[in-house]
Amino acid sequence: MTAIFDTTSPARLAGAAILAALAALALVGPLLVPGDPFGQSLVKSLGGPEAAAPLGYDHLGRSLFHRLAHALRLSPAIALGAVATAGAAGLILGTWAAAQGGWVDRILTTLADALLALPGLLLVLIVLAIMPGTAFGFWAGLSLVLWVEFFRLTRATSRAVLASPAVEAARLLGFGWPYIFRTHLWPEIAPVMLTAAAFGTATAIMAIAALGFVSVGMRAPTPELGLMMVELLPYWREAPAALLTPVIATFALLMGLTLLAGSRET
Amino acid sequence: MSLLQLNDISVHDGATQLVAPVSLTLEPGVPLIILGETGSGKSLLAQAVMGTLPQGLTARGRITLGKDQLDPAHPARFRALWGRRIAVLPQEPWLSLDPLMRAAPQIAETHHLVRGLTRSDAAVQAQKDLAALDLAAVGQRYPHELSGGMAQRVAIAAARAGGARIVIADEPTKGLDAARRDDVARLLLDALGRDGGLAVITHDLALAQMIGGQIIVMREGCVVEAGRTAAVFAAPTAAYTRELIAADPAHWPARSTLATPVSGLAPVKPVVAAKGISLTRGGQRLMGDLDIAVHAGQVLGITGPSGCGKSSLGDVLLGLLAPDAGEVTRAPGLPRTALQKLYQDPVAAFPPRRKLGVTLADVAALHGAKAQDIPAQMARLRLDPALLQRLPGAVSGGELQRLALLRVMLARPAFIFADEPTSRLDPITQREVIALLRKVATEDGVAVVLVSHDMALIDKTADRVVRLGAGAQEQAPALQKAYAG
Repeated sequence: MTAIFDTTSPARLAGAAILAALAALALVGPLLVPGDPFGQSLVKSLGGPEAAAPLGYDHLGRSLFHRLAHALRLSPAIALGAVATAGAAGLILGTWAAAQGGWVDRILTTLADALLALPGLLLVLIVLAIMPGTAFGFWAGLSLVLWVEFFRLTRATSRAVLASPAVEAARLLGFGWPYIFRTHLWPEIAPVMLTAAAFGTATAIMAIAALGFVSVGMRAPTPELGLMMVELLPYWREAPAALLTPVIATFALLMGLTLLAGSRET
Repeated sequence: MSLLQLNDISVHDGATQLVAPVSLTLEPGVPLIILGETGSGKSLLAQAVMGTLPQGLTARGRITLGKDQLDPAHPARFRALWGRRIAVLPQEPWLSLDPLMRAAPQIAETHHLVRGLTRSDAAVQAQKDLAALDLAAVGQRYPHELSGGMAQRVAIAAARAGGARIVIADEPTKGLDAARRDDVARLLLDALGRDGGLAVITHDLALAQMIGGQIIVMREGCVVEAGRTAAVFAAPTAAYTRELIAADPAHWPARSTLATPVSGLAPVKPVVAAKGISLTRGGQRLMGDLDIAVHAGQVLGITGPSGCGKSSLGDVLLGLLAPDAGEVTRAPGLPRTALQKLYQDPVAAFPPRRKLGVTLADVAALHGAKAQDIPAQMARLRLDPALLQRLPGAVSGGELQRLALLRVMLARPAFIFADEPTSRLDPITQREVIALLRKVATEDGVAVVLVSHDMALIDKTADRVVRLGAGAQEQAPALQKAYAG
């Protein structure tokens, strides 16, 4: 795995640092300042920061700090799950299509192209219509959208590598497919996969937030970044800081992932 | 008056001197050849003259271009000269032409942008240039529709369109076969040799002899010999030049027929035999009804112009490609891995991010070779064990090709198909690699098919020769000479 991080650049390090800080906030924060993301106290509605709620309160008097920490666990968890599934599916199908060629390749490529022609959010919405308001629905819908990118990258890279003299030589020498995958394909695919995974995670988080914002994603009272934004939007004049909290968190998350992805050439 | 004069040009990387001070003069009508193997500093010298040295390298000395004095330590000022006074002919012209632009506009573009002609004048001039090179009919073709030779001529026209009298050709014959190489040499001489200044950087002795003029021979950043090309070739004084000329396949000692009796006449079963092979590629018939038999311990040479199907024939023998007609039989009981291949570009044949030692250990483990087999074979192929710690890209071509041979030997092959294994190596390394291949064939009883576009190399190495192209047939070398002579 060290090979992946050979191309460490300042931008990638900054991205990793931002993500580490957000992860610390989401995972360790509630341990340091115990609290309940669902507990309401209308007296404190839109109240300012205090020791038990370092980021203040929302319109229902729930601690923004704890809601944010919860939201920062939910979206990335769904996104990472979807990217892992999509990555694995894309890797397997892409390698298979490249190695097999012929009808397998043609059918899989046509399927991928057909999915690519559909707007991604629409596809997620269709799955969500079947399984409304659940994390599982998001995971399934996003996996369905994201695998295409991994499939296309893997297929393109694998085709070039599999046609190379190095792989022909390995096959003549009697090496099997597992060896060829491990020594020839994976070292070439891994760096592109990491970049695609970071972008994919960002896409997924954005999709969850966007659907939450238009109230067709996660259901209240679940703390979710997009949902938090739309809930606090009516109070932007009274409590601009409260509205900015999920906005800044989302921005930092996407920025961290984009920086980590690096340029597409690496 | 000389066109270009170099005084004590040297190239440095910090405190390290890469090219020792060189002084030379380029006269109109007298081509200059810079001969040397990879890493001899010949390209660095040319880059110092052009002001295109890679970042971090600095040049010292004095350059006199016509009436102007230039300081190579300040390459930024050279930019104004590019195209107008000095032009470079790139190595592989079909790669340097714009693939999306027709031939004539590529030349007209230089006339327009570098020389400042109007668009219509530039187009007229480009057409004249093409006509002068017998290319009037192909001006509206795209580079992929041009043959290699045509592309080379278009590149020459484009390089000269800026009005440069001095052209530096960097390895102009790289990757070309003998016939095309001669065309390029003629072309360079016709286009530039008479009154222009032509400098040719090459490792190709035949090209150097055809161009003539003056020559400097470089090795490890130093000029080891300089003089008139004909004189240097007739009586080389430096030991290295003598070795280099002796390493040219044309000067190899004739293969001793006693050491390797032509056992093709004896009733021995061939390791691999092909009967009635026909091959078609892209609608073009490459060969028809070809019979080939390769015997243990023998080298079968295959030669022919590029694109005649030499490599495809090898793939058929290896079982990687199905012929259109005919059948390939292998000696009974041969495992699949007894058929091996050596590649033209060994770097491409190794996993690029894996240390060579690890790759070889994998092969040894797969074929149950003993731990001491690798060091033993390395000693036999005269390889330094330290190479095993390196990546394929960090090893010289000659060493890597020998490592590729070692890797193949670990699989205990009965048949090796060597596809132009030395075409990217300098003559001295080439002779060494071919000798080792020959030795392996004889000592281990391996049947070798050696493909090369170099007729002399094949004649001096192979027991029997197949010439592809017009009327492919198998002949004994003596017989073939009788035909050719």
